[in-house]
Amino acid sequence: MPVDPGLKIVIVDESPLRAAILDEGLREAGYVNVICLKERHNLLARLHAIDPDVIVIDLETPSRDVVEQMFQVSREVKRPVAMFVDQSDSSTIEAAIDAGVSAYIVDGLKKERVKPILDMTISRFRAFAKLRAELEQTKTQLEERKTIDRAKGILMRLKDLDEATAYALMRRTAMNEKKRLADIAQSIITAAEMLK
Amino acid sequence: MRRLAIGFIPLTDAATLIACAERGFATAEGLEIDLHREVSWANIRDRLNVGLLDGAHMLAPQAIASSLGLGHVRVPLVAAFALNLNGGAITVAPELHAAMGATGEDLATGEGTARALGAVVRQRAAAGQEQLTFSSVYPFSTHTYALRHLMEAGGIDPDRDVRLVVVPPSYTVENLRSGLIHGFCVGSPWNSVAVEAGVGRIALLGTELFARAPEKVLGVHARFANAEPDVLRRLIRALEAAARWSEAPENRGDLVRLLAEPRFLGVRADIIERTLTGRPDVGPGGTARTDPDFLVLHRGGATRPDPRHALWIYAQMVRAGQVGYAADAVQEAQAVYRPDLYDAALGLAARPAAAEGDPVGTRFGEAFDAGDSDSVVAYLARLGRR
Repeated sequence: MPVDPGLKIVIVDESPLRAAILDEGLREAGYVNVICLKERHNLLARLHAIDPDVIVIDLETPSRDVVEQMFQVSREVKRPVAMFVDQSDSSTIEAAIDAGVSAYIVDGLKKERVKPILDMTISRFRAFAKLRAELEQTKTQLEERKTIDRAKGILMRLKDLDEATAYALMRRTAMNEKKRLADIAQSIITAAEMLK
Repeated sequence: MRRLAIGFIPLTDAATLIACAERGFATAEGLEIDLHREVSWANIRDRLNVGLLDGAHMLAPQAIASSLGLGHVRVPLVAAFALNLNGGAITVAPELHAAMGATGEDLATGEGTARALGAVVRQRAAAGQEQLTFSSVYPFSTHTYALRHLMEAGGIDPDRDVRLVVVPPSYTVENLRSGLIHGFCVGSPWNSVAVEAGVGRIALLGTELFARAPEKVLGVHARFANAEPDVLRRLIRALEAAARWSEAPENRGDLVRLLAEPRFLGVRADIIERTLTGRPDVGPGGTARTDPDFLVLHRGGATRPDPRHALWIYAQMVRAGQVGYAADAVQEAQAVYRPDLYDAALGLAARPAAAEGDPVGTRFGEAFDAGDSDSVVAYLARLGRR
């Protein structure tokens, strides 16, 4: 159980999918006051109205500089915020930045009360990045598959080869030239288009 | 080859860094620069802090605020090279500009513009209209201080009579169009982008407020400066050569094309060129407001960090209520600027004490003639901040 289920947590993330994943994680951990802010305009006014204890923000949004305005108490800011980590906690700050996220807490809130939130955030951000990388890789593999098939078709047609021989020829060329099969396939397609 | 990771924000004044990496100046010093495009000043500071960046394009006041630990974790930084002077402008919505014109003040001058703005703010208050909102790019920035200086010169209290907020440059056009803000102060090319989009009008060039305002510096972590002094010296030499190249008219075409590339600014080349030559369009029909010093990359010793600029920045922080005055902090702020490292890198003899006069060239309002902490105190006293 979290130390503080009632802490008001705001998530500022331009990726709705990641925000949803994080929101779900925090709720599963027992936090009940989680608010996702999608709009990038009037962010400070929204934050002011919500008056959160913790703000979690992704590093890909320029809105981070808006949040940093809250370091100073002003008419717009009731309670100043600070970076989550203090000087001594450089490993946490490093892990957070590396995962692509930062968190701010209202001044005076004890570090221990917020630690589980940040840990959860970092792990969810990492999981999301991994997911995205895998998706990217699958997409690339699919694209490469298509390229290889097209190049094979060209070879079969131009050199009157059967499928297995065309494929073997490409693979042998790739090995000889120390290149990837997909690159050789791309060269064949480019050359064929130029010679059209 | 020593590889360095350098962060930048897509702005015209990243020119020297980009040219340094892309036109062989780094290589000539045995350095290989990987440029990392960042989306926020906060990211730049944090990535420098944890060592993911070796150096970065930074707002000069941000480098000082980070070193003083204002508002957040203290990140001791060193500014041994100034990337530019000036380059910002104040843009307002066309309706506000029209209202300012209707006051009968002379908008061709900075003082007239300040008085006109003051008059409009008072008219709106008397009529019970919503207060005007202005944005800058970061709390600790020359842009924030320029806006506040303009307001005060117009008899406006920037904390009570208007709202000052932060809006990232890439969002300013949309915010101005939707009426969430009525004006902003940002660096190039964003003022021109708003003019081009037909949503804003440049009311004043930054140089109409301050003739020589500190703007961006190369920020490096103090840990890096101490551990690898030789690498820093090589970087300063490479940057100095890149800054000289960037400002030479014969290289402008090449530089403009380079900056316009999507991986750097991703902004139309002609807009960047007008910025670099100090003649940005200020309003519909291509009316220009020109100043050859609108953005200075190299000439007139612009790249040598001037510790009096650090003093001025600290004074503006106190003036804006961002920090209470402390004699120790004055020294600390000044120590962020390291002309000694710059001189050593470029083989220059140590220079005599700084020149007399106002280091930022205040055009109107209270002049800054400070060379030491006593004069900072006197300046703040004249402004009623001490």
